[in-house]
Amino acid sequence: MLEIRDLTVRIADEDKEILKGITLTVPKGEVHAIMGPNGSGKSTLAYAIAGRDGYEVTGGDIRWDGQSLLEMEPDERAAAGVFLGFQYPLEIPGVATMTFLRSALNALKKKRGQVELTTPEFLKLIRAKAAELGIKDDMLKRPLNVGFSGGEKKRMEVLQMSMLDPHLCVLDETDSGLDIDAIRIVAEGTNRMRGPDRSMLVITHYQRLLDYIVPDKVHVLSGGRIVKTGGKELALELEKSGYAEFAGKAA
Amino acid sequence: MMASFSEAGRVGNEMSVAVTRTEAEEQLVRQFAKVAPELPGGARVAELRSKAIAGFALTGLPHRRIEDWKYTDLRTGIKAAYPPAVCSQAKVDEALIRAALGTALAGVPCIALVMLNGRYVAKMPPRGQEAGTGWEFRSLAAAMGEPDRSWFWQNFERDVGGSESAVQALNTAFLTDGIVLKVREGARLELPIHVISITDAKSPVALATRTIIRIEPGAHATVIESHVGISHASTARQATAVTEISLGEAAEARHIQYLSGGADVVHLGRWHVSLGKDAVYRGFQLTAGVGLARNETHIQFTGPDAKLDLSGLMLGRGKDHIDTTLVVNHTTTGCEGRELFKAVLDDRARAVFQGKVIVAPEAQKTDGKQMAQALMLSEDAEFDSKPELEIYADDVACGHGSTAAELDEDMLFYLRSRGIPLADARAMLIESFATEALEKIEDETLREAARAIAVAWLGGATAR
Ligand SMILES: Nc1ncnc2c1ncn2[C@@H]1O[C@H](COP(=O)(O)OP(=O)(O)O)[C@@H](O)[C@H]1O
Ligand SMILES: [Mg+2]
Repeated sequence: MLEIRDLTVRIADEDKEILKGITLTVPKGEVHAIMGPNGSGKSTLAYAIAGRDGYEVTGGDIRWDGQSLLEMEPDERAAAGVFLGFQYPLEIPGVATMTFLRSALNALKKKRGQVELTTPEFLKLIRAKAAELGIKDDMLKRPLNVGFSGGEKKRMEVLQMSMLDPHLCVLDETDSGLDIDAIRIVAEGTNRMRGPDRSMLVITHYQRLLDYIVPDKVHVLSGGRIVKTGGKELALELEKSGYAEFAGKAA
Repeated sequence: MMASFSEAGRVGNEMSVAVTRTEAEEQLVRQFAKVAPELPGGARVAELRSKAIAGFALTGLPHRRIEDWKYTDLRTGIKAAYPPAVCSQAKVDEALIRAALGTALAGVPCIALVMLNGRYVAKMPPRGQEAGTGWEFRSLAAAMGEPDRSWFWQNFERDVGGSESAVQALNTAFLTDGIVLKVREGARLELPIHVISITDAKSPVALATRTIIRIEPGAHATVIESHVGISHASTARQATAVTEISLGEAAEARHIQYLSGGADVVHLGRWHVSLGKDAVYRGFQLTAGVGLARNETHIQFTGPDAKLDLSGLMLGRGKDHIDTTLVVNHTTTGCEGRELFKAVLDDRARAVFQGKVIVAPEAQKTDGKQMAQALMLSEDAEFDSKPELEIYADDVACGHGSTAAELDEDMLFYLRSRGIPLADARAMLIESFATEALEKIEDETLREAARAIAVAWLGGATAR
């Protein structure tokens, strides 16, 4: 279970607080959506969970499986089961996608006290997962994300997620910049991961994605606060009325 | 690059007014007087040596007030001159080669021409696999004693050094040996020729060696030059190393230098490369951890439509100082030049890149691109980059760029968020930075050997 309590986050070197007291619980087996206008702090929340430098937690706590994540390095959080699908995945020239995934998977297995996969096992696994997401073999040989289209990058994020076997999945606008076919592929990939021992936090600006990944709960984030929580129908309401209604509340 | 007499004279006057000799300069001149009688070569060579040391005596070691040496001051870099190395009694075998080169590079199939303490000692493997028949070589010491070899003498006497280049002058004066290599017209060598210069002295020594290579028209060859020490010996050496390589019409050469040895090494290198019509030259310089290295390369296009690709990777930590200086002289039409140098700098290491590209008025259709990039792993590291374009022709495409950056924090976070520990993520990104340069080495076996050397070195840089 993911438990976020009274979380306040500041950007280091800047005075202003971006998250102003977030409280949120995602039990195992549930998918929660976070929706909100641009600049409301959605990515900041995602980075705070993943432990990015510069996103300074000034108050509150983030607990996963009963354990606080705050003192853990990003790679330790990954080993604890946290995965962040980036809104803007980075291009890493000179590092082949396959090599990268292998290193990541082995590092995680080692930290989790599991046996590393043999080369044939690894290849079999990655080929199967890549095929599900329509990722071609030659893309795996190319440097990570370099020259990939927006859609390819997002599919690669989902491939990484399914390879690394996380139990807390945070997807930051995995739908942005995708056409409807790509959204469907990405959503199917995500839905395959749903299960009784996983918690998911799906961040999106648009309701569209939630047609495919149907959430158990929707939280509206505005001005660094959760201003409304509801069922999946809240997403449809927002689609009609927009975020304007919440602008005042956040202030 | 050859200075005229009047220039040389002017420099000389300026110098004699401005400074007194340093201890190291005095020692070098005295050492020459002592060892000159034992150095190889007849009267003709002796005369060149005297001329060279006289030129050196006039100017001394280059220092920061000389424009080309602005960032690399040998007066402060060389406090004392080491005595010239004497012959080694070491047994030359595979184990020695492996100890000197490391397993990765020692494993690259080649014909090895081994030099020990500045003297040619062996060709390995002595039997069996050959590079092909279209080539010949002799030791430089032997060639200096053969008065009739005209191409050798042309190359040898072309640039004695003297007041216009102290490095060339010291090399000419103290030269003990080297390799003279000819690849005959149209020959295609199957294996690289690897000139391995190993120092195994028990105490600090000075070396002066030279490689003279002639690739005749239509011939193809790969030449590797390694300048390395050996772990059980003294790690201190001061070396001058000159390579002259000329490519005939439509000749192709791949030329790779590997330089290592650690903080106590001073390596002063000069390459002269001349490319005939349609020739293709691909040079690569890998410098992994050298206290003070200067690799100065002079490129001369002597015929039209030739292609040059010169690249390198400089790896420095501690107080390493690695200087790459290029002078690319386009004097004829339609030639292409590509230069890419990368530096990875940790601690207080410093890299210098000076890249001068001259395009003469008659060198129309020149296509030149130059790039120098440094990855700064420490706040105390320093990268001095001075690209210079002197373009006198109007129909050319030339560009250059230079960057110095730290490891990208966003990329680091991305990798770490996937479970990769900080040290490994750093290593991955550093390797990724170096890869673009390493990929300039076309031959896969050689490229992977170079990568293994770089990765091993980087392992030390990232494990902190
Ligand atoms: N690294 C940063 N430096 C400065 N300001 C930032 C940084 N990251 C986010 N912000 C600011 O924090 C606010 C929330 O941003 P973000 O979390 O990216 O919102 P969202 O993902 O909802 O669009 C914005 O006002 C944004 O400008
Ligand atoms: Mg965002």
